[in-house]
Amino acid sequence: MHTNGANSELFDNLRLELRRGCLVVAVLAELRTEHYGYALRKALADQGLAIDENTLYPLLRRLESQGLLASEWREEEKRNKRFYHLSPLGEEVLHDLLAEWQQMNSALERILGGGDAASAAQSGRQPTEKK
Amino acid sequence: MPATNTDLLDRYLHAVKFWLPKAQQGDIIAELGEDLVSQVEEREAALGHKLDEDELAVILKKRGSPMRVASSYLPEQRLINPAMLPVYRLVLKIVLCWVYVPLFAFVFLGPVMAFARPGHALLVCVVEYWRAAFMTVGIVTAFFALLDRYQVKFQHAESWNPRKLPRIPGVQDTRARWNHLAGFIFGLAAAAFWASLMWQRSEFSLSSGTRLILSPMCQQMYWPVLGLTLVSAFFDLVSALYPRWARVRSRARIGIDACMLVIVAVLLKAGNFAELAGGNFSAVDQAARVAWFNGWIAYTLIAVAVVTLGDAIYEARFLLRGKPAKPAPLLTT
Repeated sequence: MHTNGANSELFDNLRLELRRGCLVVAVLAELRTEHYGYALRKALADQGLAIDENTLYPLLRRLESQGLLASEWREEEKRNKRFYHLSPLGEEVLHDLLAEWQQMNSALERILGGGDAASAAQSGRQPTEKK
Repeated sequence: MPATNTDLLDRYLHAVKFWLPKAQQGDIIAELGEDLVSQVEEREAALGHKLDEDELAVILKKRGSPMRVASSYLPEQRLINPAMLPVYRLVLKIVLCWVYVPLFAFVFLGPVMAFARPGHALLVCVVEYWRAAFMTVGIVTAFFALLDRYQVKFQHAESWNPRKLPRIPGVQDTRARWNHLAGFIFGLAAAAFWASLMWQRSEFSLSSGTRLILSPMCQQMYWPVLGLTLVSAFFDLVSALYPRWARVRSRARIGIDACMLVIVAVLLKAGNFAELAGGNFSAVDQAARVAWFNGWIAYTLIAVAVVTLGDAIYEARFLLRGKPAKPAPLLTT
């Protein structure tokens, strides 16, 4: 558990850094299916990844300016909405990013597993098995 | 949505629009407005009634102030390249602390000592210092901002050679480097002070019409003193840049100290440094004042001679002691 004050602020900063890259991957992955901004935010939140509006919309614009997303204004339910979807370049980049993420995740699991085994050895316990 | 809510929402969007770049205003505001309306509709569906103004205000407050929302759409900007910050800090430190402080101290030392209201002179000094400091910070910052804006890259940062890194300074060298740098700055300031104070000067006007007339010997010492001060400053600069040449500098300092002792000896031998003229003093009073002034100069010269001799002995001891030991390596095996 993190404590209040300076530690809490430190944790928040580290958490922000950790989330930053993950959010890009999550947004790109979610936009394999077309969404407009509000629906995208709801979809991400429903899957456990809440994202602030002031982060999401600028991120969408940045990814679009980088050519990873494409968008178009369309009328739906009598209102104009901007729909985003992954561009061909975005699909390629997402593929590479997911491969990178999986490699990093495997490495982290090995490291955390190693740490678990080491602490178990110190306390004379058997390390917990990985599921 | 009630009319008051539409009005509040419009005002919010208008306030956000104000902070956005013109080319993107329409697009961003349309999307932001659509998102807020979707949020309002969702909230109304959850509560089962139309939102009143207070409830809409809560949603807007949660979204953030117009300036904050607009800033999240703007690209991250910086004034100075973070890689250049150490150089920027070093330049400011050198100019503000190592150049301006001694320079201002020397320029204003005379007025502070001589003015009838030294407090006022000191205040002028402080005000002028801050004015110069602010202007300098502005110019240096603008210079570094321009470097960043036009993406000026330094060859050194790209093509540095590890084999050309400076040698590790010994403890004594490090201390000496700061001493030499301080010596250089004070030497320059002293030379500037002497040059401005004594240039083609044969007398000083004092209060109540009294004039202090310098002896010809004092006037003849203008160039030797100025030359010695500049030579001393030059050797201090060389020593600061090349600490390995500390022994060369020590030999030069001994020579400079010897010349200074000769100048002091010549002046002391001459004895009479200045005369007083004008003013409403009796002959006895005037003679006493002249004697006091010449005595004061003589004692000052003796003090200078003692300090100079001490410096020469210190440098001679440094030469006799031999080279400083190498510092312990940082890497241990």
